[in-house]
Amino acid sequence: MYVKGLAAFAAAVGVGLLSGAAIAQEVKQEKQSVLGNANVPPVTQEQLNAADKNAKDFLLTNGNYAQTRFYPGKQISRDNVKNLHVAWIFQTDVKESLETSPIVVDGVMYVTTSFSHVYALDAKTGQQLWHYAHKMGPITVYCCGPNNRGVQVLGDRVYLATLDSKLLALNAKTGEVVWTTNIADPELGYSETMAPTVVKDKVLIGTNGGEYGIRGFVRAYDAKTGKQLWNFNTIPENSVGVWATKDATGRDMHRNIQAEKDMLAKIGDPYAKLGGGVWQNPSVDLATNRIYFVVGNPSPDLDGSNRPGDNLYTNSLVSLDLDTGKYVCHFQYIAHDVWDLDAVSPTVLVNVKDKDGKTIPGVIHAGKTGHIYVHDRKDCSLIRFSEAMVPQENMWVLPTKEGARMLPGANGGVEWSPIATDPGQELAYAINLHQPMTYHVESSAYPNGKLWLGGAFKVIPSEKQSGNITAVNYNTGKIKWQVKTPEPMIGGILATAGGLVFTGEGNGKFAAYNSSNGKELWSFRAGAGVNAPPSSYMIGGKQYVVVGAGGNTQLDYKRGNNIIAFSLD
Amino acid sequence: MTGIITLSDQVMFGKWMMCGVALLLIAGQARAETIEEKVQVCAGCHGENGKPVDKTIPTIWGQQAGYLYIQLRDFKRGDRKSEIMQPIATQFERDDMLAIAEYFSQKPWPDLGQPRAPKDVAARALTASASVGCPACHLDRFQGDGTVPRLAGMGRDYLAKTIADFRSRARGNNPGMSDLMIATSPDDLAALVDYLAGL
Repeated sequence: MYVKGLAAFAAAVGVGLLSGAAIAQEVKQEKQSVLGNANVPPVTQEQLNAADKNAKDFLLTNGNYAQTRFYPGKQISRDNVKNLHVAWIFQTDVKESLETSPIVVDGVMYVTTSFSHVYALDAKTGQQLWHYAHKMGPITVYCCGPNNRGVQVLGDRVYLATLDSKLLALNAKTGEVVWTTNIADPELGYSETMAPTVVKDKVLIGTNGGEYGIRGFVRAYDAKTGKQLWNFNTIPENSVGVWATKDATGRDMHRNIQAEKDMLAKIGDPYAKLGGGVWQNPSVDLATNRIYFVVGNPSPDLDGSNRPGDNLYTNSLVSLDLDTGKYVCHFQYIAHDVWDLDAVSPTVLVNVKDKDGKTIPGVIHAGKTGHIYVHDRKDCSLIRFSEAMVPQENMWVLPTKEGARMLPGANGGVEWSPIATDPGQELAYAINLHQPMTYHVESSAYPNGKLWLGGAFKVIPSEKQSGNITAVNYNTGKIKWQVKTPEPMIGGILATAGGLVFTGEGNGKFAAYNSSNGKELWSFRAGAGVNAPPSSYMIGGKQYVVVGAGGNTQLDYKRGNNIIAFSLD
Repeated sequence: MTGIITLSDQVMFGKWMMCGVALLLIAGQARAETIEEKVQVCAGCHGENGKPVDKTIPTIWGQQAGYLYIQLRDFKRGDRKSEIMQPIATQFERDDMLAIAEYFSQKPWPDLGQPRAPKDVAARALTASASVGCPACHLDRFQGDGTVPRLAGMGRDYLAKTIADFRSRARGNNPGMSDLMIATSPDDLAALVDYLAGL
């Protein structure tokens, strides 16, 4: 019926009937690199190890190897944050989705933009020192925008992973390319949007591609040469698991285990095209030499019929040995996911109370489900999960051809957005989405690196969407406070020793809140979506807060190209 | 439909004949050396000036290079069906395809003179687009990038035909697109066609 309708419509539109000027707008940015001179001393491993105590710099994407996003400086406080004002604004050459985490090394800031550009800026003035414009290959395949979330510096090199799936080392002073390594074939659906984590001369990187039937991985490359040191496949050759029927919270997922077992007997283990991307940085436990990260959804997202089993290690927390890449432990949140409610927000290492009230090393993760999960770092086991931060309804109804309504929608809960923590208050701060959706299933064979959703998740236009900022006590699982926002939130959050949290919204609002009770203390309108994680640093005795305001592709928030730094008088 | 042949049918037939003649020329150009020689065949259908000779044929001038390459690759593999394109693409190796894709991507996007969609149609299209997340891949203002095509200003009839073919899976080289089109109502898709053509 639809095809007939369209055909009739097409026939009615004759050659001579079309008139009026079409407005074809060109927005593609073709910029050249500009080499420069950033007067920056080499970053040592010792400096990186102590990043959590360093208020002068912001050395890692999420602040430090534990990824607490807790900034130890407190010049900007609850009392004076009302006086915060713009110190400078830097306009990049790329007006497209901005997810960068600015890092700051001894007065030099490194930020990235969509299409894998890197800028070195004077962190005091916003003046450009150099600009690396990546010459993108023609083949790029990505699900959720041409994003880049940042870089890291070790020694005198800046490490960047690009949309066309390359890993680069740049000269931190000049922006020149030192080496380039191909990570994976973009024609098969691989791409890079995450910032690398560099530790002990290893560059750690995951991959995107869970919507394209890749086989995911986390790898270590030699920081000096770009040579691959180890590879961990996030999908093991035995991906079947234990036929779990309940999720991490104990709810039935309505799996048809017998049908899956029959399919397994017919097609064998589906590991080769099973997805399992890794979207965000691993946290690094320097004491035990282990890394912790989460693995994303199985391919295809919504159709489980051709991927029998638990689909290990999709939707899981995974820990590896840093030196060898060998498996240590895992915990799967949702086995055989058919909702794309996967694990993407970066892990955080904090000390937590175990079930007996004893303080132990923990690892926490905020899920698209809207729960914050608290684990024992030793064996990845789940200690507790928080109250749901967003409405949950009809879980886990299976997707249908016509579409089945379930909350949360497929973006979460908590998307890739990093959380922040304040260990002194035992609080984790997360930004959430509330997007009612219907889940639709369709079946198709592996499409050679093309989009492979196995259906669709559709926002229900008639239902109201919203977002929230939520503080959760990770030792009790209770929500301490929650601030509602008019739109779903994506980007990230920063907590500071000044008793504040900073975060932004798609409507351009960037605000500071009292980290103990959520009271709004200051806000600014950036003119484009503030959908990137903020950072903070000090120069000349003055604290700055910096954030990107460039909107977001995934949620179609207003685009911009501003890096905005704030300070007190 | 009746059996009466209209003037516009004759015009259409003539254009397809021209297109066919151009294709015959190609047979003798299998050993084309330069990029200009290699792309000579394309103008017969896709237009000397970038405006396709028939409205069900896509605009390739100014299209994203990655997308053009993948389509040529898929025609050659048989993943995308076309009796016209398959024999053409079969002549080319990967490097040829990449060069041809780059060549056309550098050409200016032609203005097909299609009218902007009325406000109510545009509003319906944008709601439908937001519901399944079109801009997540086709990007702001539907300009496309990499292997994802530009849709803004594409020929209306080609858009309508392509969406219909995705929906019926007659076009089988992107099942994810088929899934998204199947999940969207025909009325919403008709609004999207109008909206995209008029951008």
